Amino acid sequence: MRIPPALRSYTDGQDEVVLEASNVAAMLRALDANFPGIRDRVVDEAGRRRPYVNVFVNEELIGASLPEAKLNPGDVVHILPSVAGG
Amino acid sequence: MARSIKKGSAVVAVGTKKGGFLFHSPDRRKWSVEGPFNAGGAVYHMTLDPRDGRTVYAAAPMGSEPWGPAVYRGRAGEEPKATKTAPKFKEGSDLSVSRIWHIEPGPSNAPDTIYAGVEPAALFRSDDRGDTWHDVESLNYHPTRKEWQPGNGGLCLHSVLVDPRNPRHLMIGISAVGAFETRDGGRSWTTENRGVRAGFMPNQYPEWGQCVHKLAWDASGDGAIFQQNHCGTYHRGPDGGAWTEVTKGLPSEFGFPIAAHPEQKHTAFVTPLIGAENRVFPKGQMAVWKTTSSGKAWRSHTKGLPGPRAYMGVLREGMAVDAADPVGVYVGTNTGQLFASRDEGESWKMISDFLPPILSVSAGEAR
Repeated sequence: MRIPPALRSYTDGQDEVVLEASNVAAMLRALDANFPGIRDRVVDEAGRRRPYVNVFVNEELIGASLPEAKLNPGDVVHILPSVAGG
Repeated sequence: MARSIKKGSAVVAVGTKKGGFLFHSPDRRKWSVEGPFNAGGAVYHMTLDPRDGRTVYAAAPMGSEPWGPAVYRGRAGEEPKATKTAPKFKEGSDLSVSRIWHIEPGPSNAPDTIYAGVEPAALFRSDDRGDTWHDVESLNYHPTRKEWQPGNGGLCLHSVLVDPRNPRHLMIGISAVGAFETRDGGRSWTTENRGVRAGFMPNQYPEWGQCVHKLAWDASGDGAIFQQNHCGTYHRGPDGGAWTEVTKGLPSEFGFPIAAHPEQKHTAFVTPLIGAENRVFPKGQMAVWKTTSSGKAWRSHTKGLPGPRAYMGVLREGMAVDAADPVGVYVGTNTGQLFASRDEGESWKMISDFLPPILSVSAGEAR
């Protein structure tokens, strides 16, 4: 999982973390187990992705719910803020 | 921010739409400023903990808006850091904390306790200086919740008062729901809105549904309290009962902040605006109004304040008092000016201009 700069205070500065999980929701929980509090930055209390936070698996934007976003060995998950411009 | 602040200095913490600033002065004449902290992002509230005079707490989005609300903590003069976790509802809840409006240091006998008032309206308590949080369920899932309605600023819990005589006695304010009180440490809460007008409702005196804007303890020390509401200014006497409307003598029933003198009983300051539809000072003259009689009479103070073409306002958290002698009063405007009075509101001086719109002001003394 690639960690955006704004969240690296949780990962002791690491920009990439290697985790085992079968879907993105499970990966976020695994990430949070290692770095408590970081999951809350990506999803809300109901597990919904926060507005203006995008999750990509490899180069594909995940539009479905995070538990439905299946992962395969070697996949790279990116968490990125959307460009909220105008 | 990276400067130590002299002990005994007055400290004014200012949250703005684009970062937080810490003003400090050993004599309240010449001011220095640290910041911005969280530059580019809003700082909704920032406060110096009066229990140690060193710790600054702030409510701001994590980095910027997308990452959700956070509580920041740090030593005054240094860049505060996000605490380990932020207030949140129970996992799986339909409710999600979208903004932290207010951080309130807890009682003096519990120096690690702080409270957070959030949107959607809820109260959270931390007993470890903000690293972990407890959902105050007795209030947050109060039987009346299903009928709570937001004000124009959202459904926010913005006022948290801890009784200095009794830490189990708290008052909180929610827009547009009203005031709630606990006398058993938060096990149970009662609506406390008798006598408070809700001019926008068919029943103008409901049990709840009032649009409280800010609450402040009267320094009488007996539990008396002031309230600035969307529909008037109020005072409630010691040990509960109905509120008394004390709007008479003010130019408007509408305003946001109310700050009470920390030592002189029956004394408070307000900044009335024209009204809900035009939230600027009447006649374009910025004025701070003061009562020394629990609102029975009010006096306007304009010396040093801009007008008569000053078309700005003051937001809910935009006024504060320090605890010096004589008391200092501080007002931040939504056009980015910070004004200070070092003579209990009699005269004013602008100590900063061209700040981003000011969202909050709090004051204290560095130790």
